[in-house]
Amino acid sequence: MSIEELCKAVERGDQEESKQIARQLIDGGVNPLNIISSLTEVMESIGDKFSRLEIFLPEMMMSGDAMAGVVQMMAPQIKAGEAGSTKGKVILGTVKGDLHEIGKNIVKLLLESNFFEVKDIGVDSDPVKFVKEAEAMGADIIGASSLMTTTMPHQKEIIDILKDQGLRDKYKVVIGGAPTSQEWADEIGADLYCPDAGSAPKLMAELLKIKVR
Amino acid sequence: MSNPYRLWEILKRSNTGAFCDEDDFLPKVFAPKVKEVIKKYEIKYDPKTPVPADDDLADRVWMAGWELFRDVGLYNTDTHRIIKLSDEEIKEALYTASDRYWVGAGKDAVLWKHRKVEDSEPPFCIYSPDCPVSEELHYSMTLAYLQEPLLDGLCAPILEESMGEKVRSASPFEINGCTQHIYNMRLAAKQVGRPGVFFVAVGTAEHDSGQIAVSNNEWGVRTTDTRIIGTLTEFKTSDSLLNRAVHCLQYGCYNGNLTGPIYGGWCGGSEGVAVSLVAYSLNGLCIYGSIFNQHFPFHLNYGSNTTRELLWPIAVAGQAMARNSKLLYTSNGFANAGPMTEMVFYETACHALVSTVSGWHLWEMASARNKYRNRATPMEARIGMEVGHAVARQEMTREEANEITLKLLEKYERRAADAPKGKEYQECYHVDTALPTQEHYDMYRKIKDEIAHMGIEFPF
Repeated sequence: MSIEELCKAVERGDQEESKQIARQLIDGGVNPLNIISSLTEVMESIGDKFSRLEIFLPEMMMSGDAMAGVVQMMAPQIKAGEAGSTKGKVILGTVKGDLHEIGKNIVKLLLESNFFEVKDIGVDSDPVKFVKEAEAMGADIIGASSLMTTTMPHQKEIIDILKDQGLRDKYKVVIGGAPTSQEWADEIGADLYCPDAGSAPKLMAELLKIKVR
Repeated sequence: MSNPYRLWEILKRSNTGAFCDEDDFLPKVFAPKVKEVIKKYEIKYDPKTPVPADDDLADRVWMAGWELFRDVGLYNTDTHRIIKLSDEEIKEALYTASDRYWVGAGKDAVLWKHRKVEDSEPPFCIYSPDCPVSEELHYSMTLAYLQEPLLDGLCAPILEESMGEKVRSASPFEINGCTQHIYNMRLAAKQVGRPGVFFVAVGTAEHDSGQIAVSNNEWGVRTTDTRIIGTLTEFKTSDSLLNRAVHCLQYGCYNGNLTGPIYGGWCGGSEGVAVSLVAYSLNGLCIYGSIFNQHFPFHLNYGSNTTRELLWPIAVAGQAMARNSKLLYTSNGFANAGPMTEMVFYETACHALVSTVSGWHLWEMASARNKYRNRATPMEARIGMEVGHAVARQEMTREEANEITLKLLEKYERRAADAPKGKEYQECYHVDTALPTQEHYDMYRKIKDEIAHMGIEFPF
């Protein structure tokens, strides 16, 4: 078994086979850091294909799950801080009154594939919940998605609450979602507007001044 | 649930249906079933033929959609249970559904009927800007749409502010905004002499409380009007959405099921979108008790549905439902380009053409992907409705429609990703009279004449 075969299994989204090959590679003495490095490249390629819709969401999600399974399995073999060190901690959710989730979920997968630590607080999330969860996590970024014009004001409320509590400078606030725009981000004082899910990891990494692969 | 006695029998399944972890529903239940039925029924997208004329393909898409709905059901995100129906119940709902409804009131009432493939009966035309609008323009824009000659129904723009405050979902400002929204519609309808015109209202309400607050036969949303109730993408609902269904049925107004299957998302590609459109229509009928289904399939990256990978599923799903049911369903256009651009006229004409010959009714037009406030006008919707009337009257075949579609796609498809945003309403309409500027009208007329030369016989 080779790392190439593992990469192909992850590309196919075959979780069981991916774990099986990874186990054999580790037992055979392959450095887990090399495995993770290769898989990161594969996920980057899969993300690119998805952004061009050469593959669709189910295929990308399956690959993401396959990679996550391998990384989780190898965790005991990797010394703390050696690999997969967090590029940033993110609280991610869809704002109050809004039940849409697909964009948020794609962003979550892409961020995790790029070694961000993400806590997904779900849909219909109260602005205070974003702030409390960010405090509890020690987050770097608060990411708020909105799919409806009438729920966009709740993105602003998150910023207002941060200001009221003297926490505004502690977190970067990132917004996204179909009706949102750079103009809206500027109007409410958000730190970043993500026009689509594919750009989120790079833009967020730049926001935190971290180079992403 | 087309008969009220099924209301509670079916809704109880929200609490008693099979439990499913929400994280598992789409990847483990929905997506594999979509792939399975596409393979089983041999459904294959052909980019060279955006308007297929293949009855057998349409019938297979119908069967695939039926199987998808029956086996996947509808997931309630509040109870984490799946509402499912049997074949017998789906058949019963289809049998008892009416193929026509009188909508609107008095002299403005219109009979809305099921259409067939290549039907000579013009489509029912619902005009809708689908975009948010600032408070100072909401009334004028509502008036502008209501002055459209081919309008059968209106869904007014979403009110962005009320009394200077941003309308926030689930807050008192939403209820206030919804009240202002429907009053604007009622006054505008009276002023143009169409007091009983059919409304789809109110789009400002995202939360159930906003919808319920404006149910009133005297000043609000009447029992001769309709609401649209969303199904979350994909195949999910919530108690808040079911509240709306129950309210509409008990209040006595019509309701429509609003769905937006995503090309590139959990449905996969064009085949999955087509099958999902059929399945969503059965969901609307059986679970929400909807008299019509309002569909806006869209492209994950563009947020539009005028490129061929979306026109194909619109065509085959429309034909599937036209041939196998007596349902009513509207095709909701989402254009890449914005108002007063040549591109938005081509896009709308193309969307309306494909939809009309395939059995759909029309709901036009979300310009600039309905992303930007004030960026919609009745003129782009007008050209779509006129195309719809024309191709129905001349009994255009799908083969003829396919040829014209390919010519229209040539005009705009390569610009989908970076389409021009166009102008805002007040830049191409006179706000006081709610009429288009001469420049805007001239552009519309030029494109209409060009399209006429392609083979569309406009009656005027």
